[in-house]
Amino acid sequence: MCPDKNRSFKTMKPNRNNLKRKQTLKNSDNVIENNEESDYEKSEVEDSGTEDLLIGEIDGDGDTTDEERNNGDSNDDSNEEEDKPIFASSDEEDESNEEEISSEELSSEEDSLLESESNSKEENEEETANIKYQKTKHKQIKKKNQSKSVNHKDDSKAKVNANDSKLNKYETDSSDEEDIRNTVGNIPLKWYDNSKHIGYDWDGKQILKPEQGNQLDNFLRRMEDPDFWRTIKDYQTGQEVVLSNADIELITRIQKQRLPDAKFDEYAPWMEWFTSEVMKTPIRKFPEHKRSFLPSKPEAKRVSKLVHALKMGWIKSTAELKKERESKTREPQFYMLWQTDDQAEEMRRIHKHIPAPKRFLPGHAESYNPPPEYLFDKRELKEWNKLKNTPWKRKLHFIPEKYDSLRQVPAYPRYIKERFQRCLDLYLCPRAIKMKLTIEPESLVPQLPSPRDLQPFPTVQSMIYEGHTDMVRCMTVESLGQFLASGGDDSTLRIWEISTGRCVKVVNCGGTVRSVAWCPNQNLPLIAVAADQRVLLINPGVGDHVISKKADKLLEIIPQSDVIVSERVTAVVQWENQSVMDNAEDWNTSIRVVINHYKIVKQVTWHAKGDYFLSVMPDGQNRAVLIHQLSKRRSHLPIGRPKGQVQCALFHPFKPFLFIATQRNVRIYDLMKQEMIKKLFTNSQWISSMSIHPGGDNLLVGTYDKKLLWFDLDLSTKPYQILRLHGTGIRGVAYHKNYPLFASGADDRGLIVCHGMVYSDLLQNPLIVPLKRLCNHEAFNDFGILDVLFHPIQPWIFSAGADSTIRMYT
Amino acid sequence: MANSKIAVSDTPQIQIRFVTKQQQYAVPDYPLSVPTSIIISELNVLVNELLKESDTSNEEIEFDFLICSEFLRTSLIEHIIERAISIEEVINVEYIVKHPPPEPQDCLIHDDWVSAVSMCEKWILTGCYDNTLHLWTAKGKHHLTIPGHSSPIKAVAWISLDGDIGVFVSASQDQTAILWKWNVESNSVETVHICKGHERGLEAVGVNSLSNLMATGSWDTMLKIWSTSLQDDSENGESASKRKKTDCSKTRVPLRTMKGHKEAISGVVWSDKTEIITSSWDHTLKIWDTELGGVKHEFTGNKSFFDLDYSPLSKVLITASADKHIRLYDPRSTEGAVVKSMFTSHTQWVQSIRWSTTEEHLFMSGAYDNNVKLWDARSPRAPLFDLSGHEDKVLCCNWSNPKFLVSGGTDNTVRVFKSRYAVV
Repeated sequence: MCPDKNRSFKTMKPNRNNLKRKQTLKNSDNVIENNEESDYEKSEVEDSGTEDLLIGEIDGDGDTTDEERNNGDSNDDSNEEEDKPIFASSDEEDESNEEEISSEELSSEEDSLLESESNSKEENEEETANIKYQKTKHKQIKKKNQSKSVNHKDDSKAKVNANDSKLNKYETDSSDEEDIRNTVGNIPLKWYDNSKHIGYDWDGKQILKPEQGNQLDNFLRRMEDPDFWRTIKDYQTGQEVVLSNADIELITRIQKQRLPDAKFDEYAPWMEWFTSEVMKTPIRKFPEHKRSFLPSKPEAKRVSKLVHALKMGWIKSTAELKKERESKTREPQFYMLWQTDDQAEEMRRIHKHIPAPKRFLPGHAESYNPPPEYLFDKRELKEWNKLKNTPWKRKLHFIPEKYDSLRQVPAYPRYIKERFQRCLDLYLCPRAIKMKLTIEPESLVPQLPSPRDLQPFPTVQSMIYEGHTDMVRCMTVESLGQFLASGGDDSTLRIWEISTGRCVKVVNCGGTVRSVAWCPNQNLPLIAVAADQRVLLINPGVGDHVISKKADKLLEIIPQSDVIVSERVTAVVQWENQSVMDNAEDWNTSIRVVINHYKIVKQVTWHAKGDYFLSVMPDGQNRAVLIHQLSKRRSHLPIGRPKGQVQCALFHPFKPFLFIATQRNVRIYDLMKQEMIKKLFTNSQWISSMSIHPGGDNLLVGTYDKKLLWFDLDLSTKPYQILRLHGTGIRGVAYHKNYPLFASGADDRGLIVCHGMVYSDLLQNPLIVPLKRLCNHEAFNDFGILDVLFHPIQPWIFSAGADSTIRMYT
Repeated sequence: MANSKIAVSDTPQIQIRFVTKQQQYAVPDYPLSVPTSIIISELNVLVNELLKESDTSNEEIEFDFLICSEFLRTSLIEHIIERAISIEEVINVEYIVKHPPPEPQDCLIHDDWVSAVSMCEKWILTGCYDNTLHLWTAKGKHHLTIPGHSSPIKAVAWISLDGDIGVFVSASQDQTAILWKWNVESNSVETVHICKGHERGLEAVGVNSLSNLMATGSWDTMLKIWSTSLQDDSENGESASKRKKTDCSKTRVPLRTMKGHKEAISGVVWSDKTEIITSSWDHTLKIWDTELGGVKHEFTGNKSFFDLDYSPLSKVLITASADKHIRLYDPRSTEGAVVKSMFTSHTQWVQSIRWSTTEEHLFMSGAYDNNVKLWDARSPRAPLFDLSGHEDKVLCCNWSNPKFLVSGGTDNTVRVFKSRYAVV
C-alpha cells in the first residue's frame, strides 16, 4: 500500500521527488567510490525516471543545500497533509492500476529472463545481449524494491548494507530512488561506440569503458571462471556484475511463478480491515465512487451548449433582458395609425382570421360641398323616399347635402348607430377560414373488385319448377347435373329434368320431406330422403338404366353380419329392406330401403364415398346424430353426447371429419381418433345451416339471427367474415363445387349470391364479394327461401321456396 | 310528291343512292338528297314513287332497306352513326322486297310436351314426352301414333321418304335411338333397328346429307355414329362379337364412338360428308372428322350450348345457349372474334334454332319465352317477325320444309306457320 501511495505523490509532485532523488544519489555516489562492484544494488532505474529527471533538472536548477531541501521537504509534507483527504479515496483505484502494471512487468520480465538465460547458456558474449540482460536486471531490482521483501544480502557488501540502513530513514519513499550513475539519459548507447567512455557520472567525469577482452580471453574466462554463468554486464557502466545467490533465488522463484518474496505468507490469517457486520445505519463499506467527485460530462456538454447559445446571442442573460426592457420603456412608443389598412390584421382568438371588408372611403357624395350632379333632384328624392321600408335597396344611405362651409355641417345624426352596427358586425361575425374534414363515404368502403369482373355467376331467373303443392323444403342435384330432386311438405319427392323444368317422377314418401341427398357415388343412383321419422333410400330410375338395375340387385342382397349392434342403437333405428316380393307397391314407388328412427329426422347427408350417410334428429338428445353404413346395413352413434341441440351435421369432403352444429357452436370431430378437434364459435343464437367448401378448409354457417358466417378453419375458431346481408334468418347456404361462388337464402325471399375465392396460397385470405340479390319467390306464411343449391357443374343456382316452386337462376 | 317534300325541308340532308339485286324493281341510278332523319316507311314511299315514274303498275310494294348489309331499323342517321359510316359520301341503300309475314296455319294438339319435331314434304313427325311419336300431315290431320320408347323422346329426324316408304329415327332418354320404317300406303310402322350403346339419355340426332349415316349425342358425353341402312348389317358393326352377345337382330351397335366432350352433347349437325359439328353443355362447339374419328377444331363459348344449326348455303353456324342470345359462328375463320354476330330479342333461354333450307340469311328460333322468331342474319337487333302462339316454353322448331315453320313446346302443341316466299 505504502509504495503506491508514494508513487502517486511522486507523479503529482515531481519537484519534491527530484530533491529526494538527489539526496539518495549523493549517498550512492559515496558508495560508488567505496565499492564500485556493489553499485548495481542501488541502480534503481525506472523507465519513467528520465522524465522525472528532466523535470528535476528544470526545477532544481543548480545545487541546493540540504537545508533548503529540508525546508522543501517540510513544505511538501504540509502540502501532503492537505492533499491527503483528496487523494485518500483514490488509493484503491490507483492500487489496482499499479497491480496491473506490475503484473505486466512481471510477465515481460519473465520473457526476457528466459531469453537472457538461454543467451547465457549459449554463452554468447555479444554486447546487445548484455544490454538486454542489464535492462532486465534493472527491472528486477525495481521489482525488489516495490515488493519491499527482498533484502539484498551479499556477503561481501557490508557497506552496501550500511548504505541500506542509512537509506532506511527515507524508507517511506525510497522505492522510487533510482541510482543513475550514467547521466547521458535514455539514448542509444551505440552512439558511444567510437569513444572510450560510455557516459558521464554525476560529477561530469567520463565513465570509461571497461577493457574488452578478446575472444580468446572470453573463452578462457568462460572455461575457468566458475561464476561466469552469473556474470552480467551493467548496462549503464559497462561493468561486469556477478549476481548474488539471493538474486538467483529471486529469479528462479519468479520463473516458477511463485511469489518473489519467500517470506511472504500467503496463508496468513485474514485481517478484516472493514467490519462484515451489517449495521442498521451502515457506514458505507466502500469508498465514494469516482464519478462522485469527477465533473459530469453530459452536464459539461449542456453547459457548453448554453455558453455557445449565449455567445451567439440566441439566448439572453437576465441582465441583458432587463436592460432591453428598460431601454424599451424609456423610448417613446409609436404605433401605426393606419396599420390595418395595408397589413394583415392579427387576431389572437381566431385562427386564420379573414379581416372584415373595409368601408369605402368617403366619396364626392359625402362631401359637404358635392358637385351639383350628386345632389338629389326631385325624382331621385322621390325614389329615395319610396324605398323607406327597404333602406338596403337605396343607392346611398344618406341624402347628399350642400353647405357653404364646413362650419355649417351639422352633426351626423346616425353616427352612433352606424358605428355601433359596424362594431357589431366586426365582433359578432367572426370571419375565419375553416378547415372542414370531409370523408367521402366511398373511401370507407373496402376496395372490392367489380362484380362484372367476377362473372360467371347467376343473374337472371331462367326456370321455374312448378309441381309441388306445398312448401319445398329441400333439394339435391345429381352429380352429372341432369336431374334435380326436391321434397317438401306435400310429402312427395319430385325429380326434375333441369334443362326443361319437366317433373320426371313423383315419389310419395308418406311424410314431410325435410331433407334429400343424392348419393355422390355415380354407381349408386340412390337418393336418401328424410321423411318424418323414416329415412328412405330411393332409386329414382333416371340416368343410366343399367346402373340403376344393378343397384337394385345389389340392394336386394342383405348382408349378414354377426356383429351385435348395441341396444342403444337398435332402440333408435331399425333397418327395413324392401324387396319385390314383400312390398310390391313400395318397390314400384322405387323405395328400396327404409330406416325407421325414433324421432323426426331433420337432415340426411352422404359421405363423399357414398357408403356412409348421416341422419340428424334434433330432438334425439344424446342420440341425435347417427351414421349409417349402407353396405352393411348398420348404424353407429359417432359421438357421445352432443352439447346442445344438434341442428345439422356434415362430413368433411375428403378427411374423416364430422362437423356437428349445435344451436350456438360448430364442433369438428375426428372420426378416426374419436375425439373433438376444434370448436368454432359462431357468437350467434341459432345456427340454421352449414356448408363446407369443396377444398375442405372453409365452412359457411347460416344463422337464424341474419348472419352468414365464413369460417376459415386454418385461420381461427372465430368467423373470418360475417355477412349481414339478409333482413331475416338465413335458411340455407351453399358452396359451388367448381366456381368460386356461394349463396344464402333467407325468409326475406332474397337469395344472395357472393363471390368467395379461396386461394391455394395459405398467406392469402379468401376474397368475399357480394354479387347479386335475387328475389323472385313469393312469401308464404312468412317463409321465403328454404333451401339453396348450386348446379354441380354450371354456374347456376336453385332455390326452393315456401311458395311451392323451385327457381333456377343462371 | 316525295321529291317536293324533301325539297322544302330544312333538316340536314344526306345523299343516298338506291341499288337493288332484284332487277324488276330497279330504279334509276342517281344520287338523291334525303333528310338524315328519314325512316323506313318514308324510304318505302320514295322508292314506290320512283318505281311509279318508270313503271305504270300501281302496285304498292313493301321494301326492306340494307345499309352496309344490315337492315335499317331505326332512322337513317342513327343507323349511319352507329356503324361509323361517313356521311360525306353517297350512301348506297340496297332495297329488297320485304319478307312477307308467315301466317299461322295450324295447331296440332298432343297429350304431352312436344320435344322434337321434324318435317319432310307434307309429313310432320313429332316426338313427345309421353314416349310416343306422332305423324301429322301439314294440313293438321293426325296420321299415326307410334309407341315404342320407354322414356321421353328428345329428338327426331327424317332419313328418307321415297314414295311409299318413309324412314326416320327417334332419339330418346331411354338411352336408345330407334330407326323406323313407315309404309305410307298401309300407314303401318315397324321398328327396323334399335340403336343401343349410349349410357345416358340421348339429346340430339343428326343425319348426314347422303342419309346413310347418322350421329347421336348423349348425356354420357359420347358422340356415336350409326348406319341408317335398313338392312341387317352384319359387316357394319363396330365389333361382331358384341353384336352376337346382344343376340337380337334389331339391335344396332354404333359404327364409331367419339369421345371428347366433357358434358352432355346437346346438338349434332353434319356440315359435310365427313364432318360433324356438335354443341355441348361444357361450353364448347367441336368440329369432328368422322374419318379420323377425332376433333378437328373447337370453339369455346362462355355459356352452355343447347342447340346449333349449320347452313350449307351460308356455311355459318348459329347456336342457342343458356342465355337469351343467339350467336353466329363462322367455322371457317380461325382468327379474330369467333362470334360473328349476336342476335338478341328473346327474353329467356333459346332452346332450339334452325336455318332456312332455301334462303341463306333466314333462320328461326324457339325460346323459353313462349316465342318463335324469324330472323334475318343481317338484322341482329330485331327479328323479322315474332311468331307468337305458344302458351309455354318452346322446345323445338323445324323449317326443313321451306313452306312451313313448325315448332313444338311444353303447351302440348305444335304450331304450324305457313311461310310465303318473298318475290325474288
